Amino acid sequence: MTPPAPRSDRPIFLDLADQIADDILSGAYAPGTQVPSTTELSVHYRINPATAGKALNRLVDQGVLEKRRGLGMFVTADGTEILRTQRQGDLLETYLAPLMAEAARLGMTPDDVVALIRSHVEFSASRSSTTHPTEAPR
Amino acid sequence: MTVTTSHAHRHQPEPQDTARTDPHSGIVLRDVTKSYGKTEVLKGIDLHLDPGKVYGLLGANGVGKTTMMSLICNHIFRTSGSVTIDGEDPAENAKILERTVFIHEDQRWHDDYLVKHILSALPSFYRGWQPELAERLLERFSIPRKTQLKKLSRGQRSAFAVSISLASRAEYTFLDEPYLGLDPSSRNIFYEELMREVSEHPRTVLMSTHLIDEAANLMEEVILMRQGRIELHADSDAVTSSMTAVRGIEDAVDEFTASYDIVNSQSLGRIRSVLVRGSLSPRERERADRLHLSVETPGLQEIVAALGILDHDARQADVHDTQNEGAMS
Repeated sequence: MTPPAPRSDRPIFLDLADQIADDILSGAYAPGTQVPSTTELSVHYRINPATAGKALNRLVDQGVLEKRRGLGMFVTADGTEILRTQRQGDLLETYLAPLMAEAARLGMTPDDVVALIRSHVEFSASRSSTTHPTEAPR
Repeated sequence: MTVTTSHAHRHQPEPQDTARTDPHSGIVLRDVTKSYGKTEVLKGIDLHLDPGKVYGLLGANGVGKTTMMSLICNHIFRTSGSVTIDGEDPAENAKILERTVFIHEDQRWHDDYLVKHILSALPSFYRGWQPELAERLLERFSIPRKTQLKKLSRGQRSAFAVSISLASRAEYTFLDEPYLGLDPSSRNIFYEELMREVSEHPRTVLMSTHLIDEAANLMEEVILMRQGRIELHADSDAVTSSMTAVRGIEDAVDEFTASYDIVNSQSLGRIRSVLVRGSLSPRERERADRLHLSVETPGLQEIVAALGILDHDARQADVHDTQNEGAMS
């Protein structure tokens, strides 16, 4: 069993790059729109500008952001899609591996976990279908 | 112990940011010592500060942080070694000193002066003085211009001092515990304004602070001092991996850490938490797993605090030794 990576082990620029990526995936920054500058990120998060620069450059290297001279950083046309593909690939390591490790510690079999996921999906589906019509906002 | 710094992804300043004078060799200290009588406060400091970076200067009280900063700024004289700023000796060098600002832990001005008197005098001290920035900062910190300095609160005096350091736009900025008495919201304003300033107009900042956790992200590099020496100088990202925190049942922890250099050890019941030097290889991580130990990278504050306790214990031991010698003679 490998323990999940401790927080402080991870450089802040990676956390910041993830944060910006989250905002792109949520649609806050659509393809073609501008993301905050190094200075804006540095002031807002009170982090060294070099750290903010590293976060932006990481996303540039991944093809998610592009630098437009004298204007700033923009989300590329397929930036959102690149992130989505990447995150789907990470799903196993980021969520599934720790889930299975914790399940093993609790004495659960993979079948138990599958059953748990299935019941969670059914529960969520039933809740959204029953509560939505009655509790719709006026 | 040294940790090599890596600059794989240096921040590239925007073209309009680079309005600095040549040459940019930064600050270089070579084998600098400082003694007061028999007491050696600095025991051979070698240090290179690049232009345009923010450095955190950390360590317990009395390790020589203030002495080192005062010496670079030529406020005190070194006993031996050399100091250069952009290749020149800062001693009595007006050209260098007008590009340097130094804010002390308990910064004071003439008590009867009003805030506005000090403000009107400052442009003649600092070549890069920014009057509009000074105004904006005083506004943000709610410091009245027509108040006598002796009537400012401890926090207001600190806020005034950091405002001056920022508005000076000095290429070499030294901040020695600059924010005594500043409340959390004022500290946040200071951090924001410092980041805006260094981002838009890169300058070298050397700042000592005990509020390590909240200031850690401001620093590009960290310099950790112990007993007159530099213990460690590394990128902020790399510095915490210079130590490892191991926690678990005491027997297992003792077995695992037997071959390590232990910096600090604390127990709670049968649980022991130990801080050791170095980071663990994948193989060692597996060994820790088999012993059911949790392994983490400590925070910067934890490292500085642990080393401070080590120094304190060493000093106590010295005192005992001296007393014992005294008893024997």
